[in-house]
Amino acid sequence: MDMSRYRELFLSETREHLNQMGRLLVVLEQEPSGRETIDALFREAHSVKGMAASMGYERTAALAHHLEDMLDGFRRGGGVPVGTIDHLLSGLDLLEGLLEDLQADQPERDIAAFLAASADPVAPVVIAPENANEGNLELIDVIASEDAEPGEKTPATPALTAVALQPPPASSVFQVTVVLTEEATAPAARGLLILRELERAGEVVNATPTKETLRQGGGCPRVQAWLRTVVPKPRLEEALRAITDVDKVIFVDDRRTDSSRRGGEAGRSVRVRTDLLDQVVNLTGELLTHRFMLQRAATQRDWNELDTALGQTTRLIGELHHQALQARLVPLENVAGRLPRLVRDLARKTGKQVEFRMTGGGVSLDRLILEELSDPLVHLIRNAVDHGIEVGKPGEVTVAARREKDLVLIEISDNGRGMDPQELRHQAVARRILAPEQAGELSDREALMLVCVPGFSTAREVTDTSGRGVGMDVVKSAVEKLGGTLDIQSAVGAGTCFQLRLPLSMAIIRILLISSGGHALAIPLTRVQRTLELPVEDVTTTGFRRFFSLGEEEVELVALDSLLGLAGNPAADGLCVVLLELPGRRVGLQVDSFLGQRDAFVKNLGFPLDRLPGMSGATVEGDGRVLFIIDPHPLLEGQTAAILFRGKETFDALS
Amino acid sequence: MALRVLIVDDALFMRNMLRDICVRAGFEVVAEGDNGEAALELFREHRPDLVTMDIVMPKRSGIEALQDIMVEDPQARVVMVSALGQDSLVLEAVEAGARDFIVKPFKEEKVVDIIRRVAACA
Repeated sequence: MDMSRYRELFLSETREHLNQMGRLLVVLEQEPSGRETIDALFREAHSVKGMAASMGYERTAALAHHLEDMLDGFRRGGGVPVGTIDHLLSGLDLLEGLLEDLQADQPERDIAAFLAASADPVAPVVIAPENANEGNLELIDVIASEDAEPGEKTPATPALTAVALQPPPASSVFQVTVVLTEEATAPAARGLLILRELERAGEVVNATPTKETLRQGGGCPRVQAWLRTVVPKPRLEEALRAITDVDKVIFVDDRRTDSSRRGGEAGRSVRVRTDLLDQVVNLTGELLTHRFMLQRAATQRDWNELDTALGQTTRLIGELHHQALQARLVPLENVAGRLPRLVRDLARKTGKQVEFRMTGGGVSLDRLILEELSDPLVHLIRNAVDHGIEVGKPGEVTVAARREKDLVLIEISDNGRGMDPQELRHQAVARRILAPEQAGELSDREALMLVCVPGFSTAREVTDTSGRGVGMDVVKSAVEKLGGTLDIQSAVGAGTCFQLRLPLSMAIIRILLISSGGHALAIPLTRVQRTLELPVEDVTTTGFRRFFSLGEEEVELVALDSLLGLAGNPAADGLCVVLLELPGRRVGLQVDSFLGQRDAFVKNLGFPLDRLPGMSGATVEGDGRVLFIIDPHPLLEGQTAAILFRGKETFDALS
Repeated sequence: MALRVLIVDDALFMRNMLRDICVRAGFEVVAEGDNGEAALELFREHRPDLVTMDIVMPKRSGIEALQDIMVEDPQARVVMVSALGQDSLVLEAVEAGARDFIVKPFKEEKVVDIIRRVAACA
């Protein structure tokens, strides 16, 4: 039985509602009589109740109903009494727990204890008895009338009608094909049911087979129709798939590239603005026209016309790609929504006074990146409150996001005690991670990066003195896996700022094509600061290391072929150098030649290729050859800072 | 709250079978009727969440009973149970407002699936 499609939508939407509730409750705590906040909370709980009830998740529905009930009481009482917020928050936690159970396909956990607790110590104090009764009765009335009233729409039920509650978006027209399973019986009747569902969603412009054909018993294993609707495609797909014996739902421009990119991602839904869909459909239409132009030009051997049509097609594909990427973008808020609650709870637990601020929540990132970013963000904030913020001083944790060229910069900063690079150097030596002279060579920025060395800060005493907790290595590798970088700025007494720079989107990136050791390779342009051609005589050699001057700076020169273990190509008179910015320093990467730059659709590497350091993916060239994409950062870390990331053995070998 | 189902079928065997399937799936069978006339009365009396309705039955046919019920409650969820080869009757029933249909012989999980789907729909 295929409820799984409903389930995903239910889980993702409910999670959004719960995030929102967490945020609202923190607001409510500061302003206990905020009528609008209570109203908003009531609506959120109401939505969750409706959705859970439709899914048959009884305990989730009952708990949401209960919270809704309490909130209604507070609304009547004109505010939330002190001490009740904690109870509401624990109710929210329980709802989150229930959602976890449902996600894991387990029976819903028990809620009786919570219901009993709210009946006992809190509720009677909170709501005057007559009010409570009145509230309950009214609520029952509301529910009863909901059930009885035809067409009453519960927000976000996984049915088509749910959208009607939101402000009416512009309608879009697209083609949908519904394919029946092989075992489908009475296909004509099934076809009618499908058309009926489509008619509920919008205006069926043109259907094959038509209703008349179906009525005459002319069934066929698929129904195809043009539909004008305000219903977003994912939701329409849910509804159509909910019909018995439906095997596939296909939209005309539906290539499903993103769901096939990662096995685990299949079946996840993204909400897409309808105007975006309109644009995509329009562009597809224009492309079709241009295809005919190209065809005609080709048959008539009209090269000028061919050239023009090709140019326009290129432009259209570019636009289409841009729009398609837009569809995957999700605002940071979606994952940052639970951060205020996190800070509040942590502050309470540690007895610190912390204020949370967030700017740039509307900045959008690829959904995949955002999902992977969730844990690192939580981690950084936990660290900031736990170790950065000091007891007895007004603390502040800020998350600020903004666009920076093709990247998104997210800064997580605190106004706490900060980190001391000198202290970190001492700790690295004391923990036998670095030899004293190596530690001495580190710049302050490099010294701060020591907190990301695996095992560096696991010891409690280190954590306390360094001001950072466990697992920064995990944060760093998560960010790098996404093609981003992590940078740390800190000064004693002035707080700490973690800067995450992330690409907007992972699927398509701009790459620099180079050749090295006779192989064509690519480097993501986000990694490249600039390219330069260097006369051989500008290179100076110190021991085994080579340098060149760039303005005031001495930049180390590293050959990519030797990094990758490829056969070296003797350099001619000029060296091709890709200038890279690593945290705290710049490095020149020597390659054989530059081959150009272009957009590339990145495919993830499978096992065991994905284990190779520095291999971040591959893309396919126009002629079918596979082009590997190199992430130079891990390679260079391995080369120049091996000691930092390999730890003790290297140290022992060196000393 | 378990889903409340009314079963209408003139064959005791079919009623028993459907009842067992419903019970195993955790639905509550609120009543059983053996003809189309009883269907409407039982519907009025029990207001079930869902009705399974045989098509060929004595007194009033399943389709007539369906029409009666749709007049009584346009939101009623009625699932037709038909034999193989009754496609035109099924078609008629769908036109008359049936939410879905089950074709005999059926598999247990198919029946449960259909009932759950229909129950989940608005």
